Amino acid sequence: MKEIMIKCEGVHKEFRLRGNIIRALINVNLEIEAGEFIMIQGPTGCGKTTLLNVMSGLDLPDEGSVILDGEDIARANEDRLSNIRRQKIGFVFQDFNLVDNLTAIENVEALLWPTVLRTKEIEDRAIAALRAVDVLERKDHYPSDLSGGERQRVGMARAIIHQPRVLFADEPTGNLDPASGTNVLELLKKLNRDLGTTMIVVTHDSSLVKYGDRVVKMDRGRIVR
Amino acid sequence: MRSRKRFIVFTFMYTAIIIWMSFSIQMLFASRPGAKPWIMDVDETVAIISLILSAVISISLSVFYAWIITNYRRTEIATLKCIGYTNNNVRIIIVGELIWVTMFSFLIVFELLIHIVAFSGYFHYTADSIVDFSPIIRFPPLLITIGLFLIAQVGGILIAYRRVLRLRPIIALRIHK
Repeated sequence: MKEIMIKCEGVHKEFRLRGNIIRALINVNLEIEAGEFIMIQGPTGCGKTTLLNVMSGLDLPDEGSVILDGEDIARANEDRLSNIRRQKIGFVFQDFNLVDNLTAIENVEALLWPTVLRTKEIEDRAIAALRAVDVLERKDHYPSDLSGGERQRVGMARAIIHQPRVLFADEPTGNLDPASGTNVLELLKKLNRDLGTTMIVVTHDSSLVKYGDRVVKMDRGRIVR
Repeated sequence: MRSRKRFIVFTFMYTAIIIWMSFSIQMLFASRPGAKPWIMDVDETVAIISLILSAVISISLSVFYAWIITNYRRTEIATLKCIGYTNNNVRIIIVGELIWVTMFSFLIVFELLIHIVAFSGYFHYTADSIVDFSPIIRFPPLLITIGLFLIAQVGGILIAYRRVLRLRPIIALRIHK
C-alpha cells in the first residue's frame, strides 16, 4: 500500500465578495499518494487554485481537514506552517515571482538563507538545482536578462533546492509560449520521476493534462472526476 | 532597478536630515554659556526648535520608508513567506534595509565632514598660525545624531513589523491576476 501524502476530508471554503458569498470549495475529498503527478484541471473560477492554496497551507479551510505528510495543516499555527513550507513544500508560480535585484543563483539560494546550512553547502545545492532544470549557465544573470522559460526554470530550481516532498505549481505555463510551456511540464515530469517528488499542478489548459498520472477535474467548487 | 532608485533617493534624504540634526545639536552646544567659539552666534530657542523639527522629520521619514518598502515589495515578501520564511525572517530583512540606509547616510556625512576639514585646513593654514579647522559640525554632535537617528528608526521598524505580520503569503499567487 502506497503512502498517502495529502488527504483532504470534507473541505469547505467560502469567500465574501461585495456582499455575495462564493462557495469556492464544497465538500472536497481527495487523497494523493506520495510520488504521484496530479493535474488539477477545470474552467476559470472552479476552485482549483483555492484547492491548491488549502492543500499547501496558504489558506485555511472553513471546514474539514487537510493532512499533509501525516500532519493536519489546517490546525497548524503560522510559524509551524512556515516550517512545513520550508521543509516539505515547493512552489512554482505563474508569474515566476523571482526577486528582481538578486541573480538567478541568489534567487535559488534565498530559500536556504534563513537555515543553519553553511554558505558553501547552500551554493552547492543551488548549483545542483539549477543544473537539474538545465539553466546553470545563466546563474549569474538577473531575472530581467532571462526569457520567460528561463525564469520559470529558475523558479523551479528554487522550488526543489530543499528537496521538498510535494511541489505545487499554479498555472506554471500560464505566462509562457507553448514551446516553453511544454518544456516546463516535461521538466516537472522528469523531476517527479527522478526525485520522487509529489507534483500537484493546476491548469485550465486541457491539452496539458496528459502529463499527469491522474487528473482531478473540478467544476463549481466540487471534484467532478 | 526601482528598489535601487528608492534606496538612492532615501539615502540622500537621510543624509540631508542627518546633517540638519547634527547642525542643530551643534547649534545647541554653541548657544550654551561658555561654549567653544563656533562659526556663528546662535539663539538657544532656535537651536531647540530646529532639533525638534529635524527629529520629527526623521521619524516621519523612517515611517514613510518602512511603509514604502512593505507596500512596494508585497509580492516579494509574500513570495518569501510562501517559500518558508517566517515573519521574523522577513522582518530582519526589512529592518536590515532601514538600518543599512541609516548607516550608509552616516558614512556619506562622515566622508563630507572629512573633506570639509581637509578643505578648511588647506586654506586656513599659515606657517605662523595654529590651524583652526573649525569644522561646521564637530564629532560629539555627530555621535549624538547617530544615537537619535537610530532611535527614530523605531517608528519605521514598528510599522514594518505590523505590516509584515498582516501580509499573507497567498498574495504571491493572487497579485498579478
